[in-house]
Amino acid sequence: MQLQGWEAILFYVLAIGTLFMGVYVVTARLAVHSALCLISTLVNVALLFILLRAEFVAGVQILVYVGGVMVLFLFVIMLVQTRAEEEDRVKLYTGQMWPAVIVAFLLAISFFFAMQPAQLAFRPADAQAAQSSADIGQRSESGAGFVSSDTQNVGEALYTKAALPFEIASLLLLVAIVGAVLLARGTKQEKLYE
Amino acid sequence: MISLAIGALAYVTPLLLQAQNQPFAKRFEPTLVHFLMLSFLLFVVGVAGVLSRRNIIIIFMSIELILNAVNLNLIAFSRYLQINADALTRKGLVIDPLAGPVFTIFIIVVAAAEAAVGLGIVISLFRNRETVAIDEIDLLKW
Repeated sequence: MQLQGWEAILFYVLAIGTLFMGVYVVTARLAVHSALCLISTLVNVALLFILLRAEFVAGVQILVYVGGVMVLFLFVIMLVQTRAEEEDRVKLYTGQMWPAVIVAFLLAISFFFAMQPAQLAFRPADAQAAQSSADIGQRSESGAGFVSSDTQNVGEALYTKAALPFEIASLLLLVAIVGAVLLARGTKQEKLYE
Repeated sequence: MISLAIGALAYVTPLLLQAQNQPFAKRFEPTLVHFLMLSFLLFVVGVAGVLSRRNIIIIFMSIELILNAVNLNLIAFSRYLQINADALTRKGLVIDPLAGPVFTIFIIVVAAAEAAVGLGIVISLFRNRETVAIDEIDLLKW
């Protein structure tokens, strides 16, 4: 699998954007800045998904992750606002910052050593596989051009082969909704209902 | 930032050195390994964030970063399996490439549920302790 031409340039642009925004999430002083940079990271990752021809997951990521989870984060940051962070004297990091950075660095080095023997295995098996960055899709008759069949295939798989995990996931979401409402209800509201 | 730069550099140089018999521009073309490296560096940034920040909401955001790194890994492998399907079948490895997006959707669902419940916990914690710094929430009972 080799991306060629403009896809390669787009990969590098998105990759550098993702990594820089990710580091900014971790190192920002205000929580709102972190949230906005996480939104940017998620959108960059969604664009990388589109580059990898997984359009359905890209759409789900932008709708659910960015549009749901990150908006929830921003609401909670608004409710829990601690203005003290804006001053320079407040500590941002726990006492474990240097061990955390050293562990992260060691993980990176160990990944390099772990991936070293496996790199040869990911070369394309033959020349025919190497040159196809080919999309698997179908031509639509209404003249809209090339329509990728990824959404159709993923939807079919979700309803046929992965139907049981799908139903369990809906049950999980129900439990999460009930739990979140129960946890976030204040004592004033509880007295109102009793 | 510095560990990220050093990690990225330590990883890119062997890739460049190995492909020395190819023309210059072709060395930089992203293969599967580049996607895995990106996913791993994102993971490492998330881990460093979880371990070192004081604000609990930013810890949650670093956990979301980790989950996204894993999603990227799965989708990259799914694309790799899609492209090399016949070559891998000849070698005896048959994996349905749809497993990538399907599992990624379940990871996103679980992340959304976890974020909802976790932020509910943060709100009720803030009501009781008036702080979101994790090293100030160190008593089990008043």
